[in-house]
Amino acid sequence: MTQFHFFSGKGGVGKTSMACTTAVHHADAGLRTLIVTTDPASNLSDVFEQAIGHAITPIHAAPNLFAMEIDADQATEEYKDRALAPIRAAFPPAMVAVMEEQMSGPCTAEVAAFDRFTDFIVAPHDAQGQFDVVIFDTAPTGHTLRLIELPVEWSRAIDAADQGSGQTCIGPSAAIQDAKHKYEHAVAAMRDPAATSFTFVLQPEATSLKETRRAMDELSKLGIASQHLIVNAIIPAEEAANPLFAARRTMQQGYLAQIARELPLPTRQMPLLAGEITGMARLRAVGRLLFYGDASALVAQVSDGATLPAFEADLAAILPRLLPDQGRRTIFFAGKGGVGKTVTSCLTAVWLAHQGLKTLLLTTDPAAHLGDVLGVPVGDTIAPVAGVPGLFATKIDPKAAGEAYKTRILADAQARGRSPESIAVMQEELDSPCTEEIAAFDLFIEYAAQADWEVIVFDTAPTGHTLRMLELPMDWSQQIDVKVFASVDGAQADEVAKARFGGVIDLMRDPRQSTFAFVLYPEATPILEAARAVEELSSLGIAPGLIVANYVLTEAAATTPFGQARRAMQGRYLSELPSRFAAPVLPIPLLAQEVRGLEFLSDLGEQLYGTGIVAANEHE
Amino acid sequence: MSSISLFDTTPPAPTAQADVAIYDPPMCCSTGLCGPAIDQTLLDTNELVVTLKARGLRVERYQMASAPQAFIGNAEVMRLVRAHNMDALPITAVRGTVIKSGGYPTVVEIEKALEGVPA
Repeated sequence: MTQFHFFSGKGGVGKTSMACTTAVHHADAGLRTLIVTTDPASNLSDVFEQAIGHAITPIHAAPNLFAMEIDADQATEEYKDRALAPIRAAFPPAMVAVMEEQMSGPCTAEVAAFDRFTDFIVAPHDAQGQFDVVIFDTAPTGHTLRLIELPVEWSRAIDAADQGSGQTCIGPSAAIQDAKHKYEHAVAAMRDPAATSFTFVLQPEATSLKETRRAMDELSKLGIASQHLIVNAIIPAEEAANPLFAARRTMQQGYLAQIARELPLPTRQMPLLAGEITGMARLRAVGRLLFYGDASALVAQVSDGATLPAFEADLAAILPRLLPDQGRRTIFFAGKGGVGKTVTSCLTAVWLAHQGLKTLLLTTDPAAHLGDVLGVPVGDTIAPVAGVPGLFATKIDPKAAGEAYKTRILADAQARGRSPESIAVMQEELDSPCTEEIAAFDLFIEYAAQADWEVIVFDTAPTGHTLRMLELPMDWSQQIDVKVFASVDGAQADEVAKARFGGVIDLMRDPRQSTFAFVLYPEATPILEAARAVEELSSLGIAPGLIVANYVLTEAAATTPFGQARRAMQGRYLSELPSRFAAPVLPIPLLAQEVRGLEFLSDLGEQLYGTGIVAANEHE
Repeated sequence: MSSISLFDTTPPAPTAQADVAIYDPPMCCSTGLCGPAIDQTLLDTNELVVTLKARGLRVERYQMASAPQAFIGNAEVMRLVRAHNMDALPITAVRGTVIKSGGYPTVVEIEKALEGVPA
């Protein structure tokens, strides 16, 4: 029987490294092993140092190992092709073209990605035979949960549709009975502890711990019991000689104790390693440590003695990209999960509010922890942040947004005198998982369209997800263009919606109004991921305005061989940044403590951005 | 890798003909609620369907993406679609006979057609 291993955890905790290490371990043991990623910002090809892509690909350096990166766009194309085959055969080309356009909406992408994902559970084999082990290096936590929740929700949606009007977002229920069996099969396999295990990868820090607990609860509710932990990036005892690492180690030990108390699962620990985990030799060395506790193959890389360039932030270039230029400034913080996007967003928003600018801080990350960083509660509606005059914050929670959207639509229908039967059918339609996605987006547009802010700071969702979100306005406008049948009322509503979406797109493209800031840390994977995100955005006509390099080791911190090795590695990557991204670079040092609370954020903001900028400008 | 399609491409088993069949233009869902703008005409049509069903009539709605076979199964529907493309839709058929094309029907139109066509 095929074994399924799911790796879950916030981006940046080392999930892909642990999943790849596990895959290599099983393959080396003679098991036919497939590793699949559903992460839109996948980096399996970086880890294995070869091209992979959207097909099952043999890994050259390990005979029994195969890998695949599910490409959401390509999965959507394949799904569309299958759906369109009978239509192509019978219908005129003009109709086929309209169907193609129509299927480019977000519902199709969501269904297609999910459909592809379940294929691996239902039929874990390729042309050469069955896989003994299938490893899913899943997308970051919030997204993962939605994906895994989907089988249950779709099954429910299909059941509900059977009893009701026979319609769901993915077509009349009669047409998807096949798929229903497939989804039930997938859920059953995920619930069977003999077939499936879930491993949460986390780091000993507050956010990671909180998110893991939330994910554990969600999985338990879905009836998935086989859960394990890998606590990664633990600072080794010998590094306590370095004051910065000593402080972080003390903090980590506290969280390790908390993990042992609050997350009672079988747990393995991994130390923070001096270099990155790429290439087969290093994956095998890490595997010996993960599976046998043998660290002998992991010798710290010796510093090459290269002197680091001085990284002074060029504030004259950076600040005009954060401050409003006559009108309003919208700043988007993009980047892989775990790079410090939320902290950067918070300290920037606090600093801007301190400059006397009316600032809205908002997150679209489903696993939002804005409130934890600010140290004050952040709710689903815009509210002032106590202690910082001029600062307001809110989060877009897809579930809450979905409920609010549903309530609004149904109230409108009631006000128009719709019959109870009709409202019941609408209610059923609105229970589809697509509603949340649309509602979250609707709210995002609503805030983006508000005129009374001087600055809006978006703590955006992780890169791949963000891009899909940003691409949505284009998708919707296209859908409106091809919507061939509309009543007068509907046509008017479409015009309003189109004007709204068009305004947001224009705003994102105008560097005087919008700044896309990419947050990364100076290592290969986050830089590659940021580069990919920048490339995708450039195809939408959007250029990066700022690069934030986080967790930079200061010279004072690099006193031990380990610290020096890491600093040398960072130095190589830091020196690449300015030429790689045509944008100014803001370095943020690695700090001994987690950034929590308004006072800490204010201090850090002043340290990075300086003081009294607006006052100086007004003086001129 | 086997691929199981969400869409059943085999011809459906012969079933009793619907009293009223509506061939919809492409939409995300039957009420149009998945879209960014809510179309009141689609809601009116939904109420019409609910009303007819309450009278014991068999009413079916078909979309090209999910039920192409239903389109192909009615020669008059396919003739209209080939001749007028999207402008032909929506099409309404009462007991197999097309009564309206290019717009949704009213209750009165359907009642009239039902009187003229024996069950």
